[in-house]
Amino acid sequence: MGVCMFTTQRLILIALCAALNFSIGSIVYLIKLPVYFDSVGTILCALLIFPDRKAAFVCCLTCALTSTVFTGLLVNPFLPWFVGTDLVICLCAAFLTANFGNTFRARPMQPVKFGSRVLIAGIVTGVTAAIVSAPVVAYLFGGVTGSGSAFVVAFFLKTGQQLMNAVLLSGLTADPVDKTLQVLVSALLFRATPADFIAMVRGTPARV
Amino acid sequence: MTPNGAIVFAACAIVAIVLSDGLGISLLYALVVLFSLSEVGPRVMGCLRRAVLVMAPLATFMLIIWVGIVGRAPAEIAADVEGTREAALFYVVVVAARLFLIVFLVQAVAMRFDHETPLSFVRALNAPPGAKRLAILTLSLIETLRNAVDRAHTALVAAGIITRAISFRNIGSGWILVQTVWLTAITTVTARMRDKWPIENTLGLLGPALDGGKQRLTFRDWFWLVLTLTIAAAGHAWSYLHA
Repeated sequence: MGVCMFTTQRLILIALCAALNFSIGSIVYLIKLPVYFDSVGTILCALLIFPDRKAAFVCCLTCALTSTVFTGLLVNPFLPWFVGTDLVICLCAAFLTANFGNTFRARPMQPVKFGSRVLIAGIVTGVTAAIVSAPVVAYLFGGVTGSGSAFVVAFFLKTGQQLMNAVLLSGLTADPVDKTLQVLVSALLFRATPADFIAMVRGTPARV
Repeated sequence: MTPNGAIVFAACAIVAIVLSDGLGISLLYALVVLFSLSEVGPRVMGCLRRAVLVMAPLATFMLIIWVGIVGRAPAEIAADVEGTREAALFYVVVVAARLFLIVFLVQAVAMRFDHETPLSFVRALNAPPGAKRLAILTLSLIETLRNAVDRAHTALVAAGIITRAISFRNIGSGWILVQTVWLTAITTVTARMRDKWPIENTLGLLGPALDGGKQRLTFRDWFWLVLTLTIAAAGHAWSYLHA
């Protein structure tokens, strides 16, 4: 299973998407925006590999873990504790977002269909990620990690919320927006990716 | 010290730092300082500088959030009491000290092997060949992506689509830059896979180049490992007895 799943092309795609996660995620972390933007490569990886759902999940999880290790070691010491969040993002990407691949690549673009699919995928991924991240943020880091979303936690704490509530509310406020934007960027990059590259990654004949 | 020993030592020390408090953290500070002085020598100042560069913005950020905005520590919030900025400050100092130690340790381990190339370091690791290959490809593609950013930026500036300085036009055309970077990276990777690598047999040579990692842990590796575990256990025992 492992041998045919990790073809050379897929291995290179995983590395490229991990590098994309690392680059965008590090910039956003360092400028303290109230979003994360560290999973664009993960979602894109699932979209590019998709018809083979199991391969899409395994490859995008490998991509997420690789970028988490690199970003955790080099830029953001908080990140390695969020592997659980990586897992649910990968599940959502491979089993939900990737289903919308045909809509994302449809020519001409159908804006309503495109937008609604992006919203559905983004909100579901965001809510799930927020629920999974909340206990880690609250119990391991006392509510504040290095990302800009800590401002939202601080706001809810200031309004008198308990720590876990504040973290969960902050997650439910910031994560759906963040993940919707990430799905949007991934979908647009997927749309822009040449068909022959996708065919090479999927191991199918090129189709325009 | 071997790369495998360094990875195992760093992993054990990080887990110990996360799980320890009070005297345990102080002992682990002493251990990491001892490790960096004996393994890295005078270059320890470089590790210190890098750790400060990573941690200073993060600590400032946490100070703004906890001391400036929230004004009380998480324990006080949980207990639903008024709370003080002093307690919030103490909390930030403890978290920042813990994270600083982790960052400093990682820098010291990285500095210990800075005479080696990433390829030789990864080759020496006792890891599955696929994982080694992925690590090397990711490192290489981070550079490719960096080059793609430079190329795309230069091309779009030359085409008059974006400007070098900050401008409103850059906000409007930001997406074009992102898309161009991605397409540049894709084109580079495709060209490598189709033409360059088959001609040079790069992937074929990468396999044997990454073979290795059969090296056993040395006495020095075991010494640091046992010392870490002993110190972690002593710290925990002290915390348990004084709880």
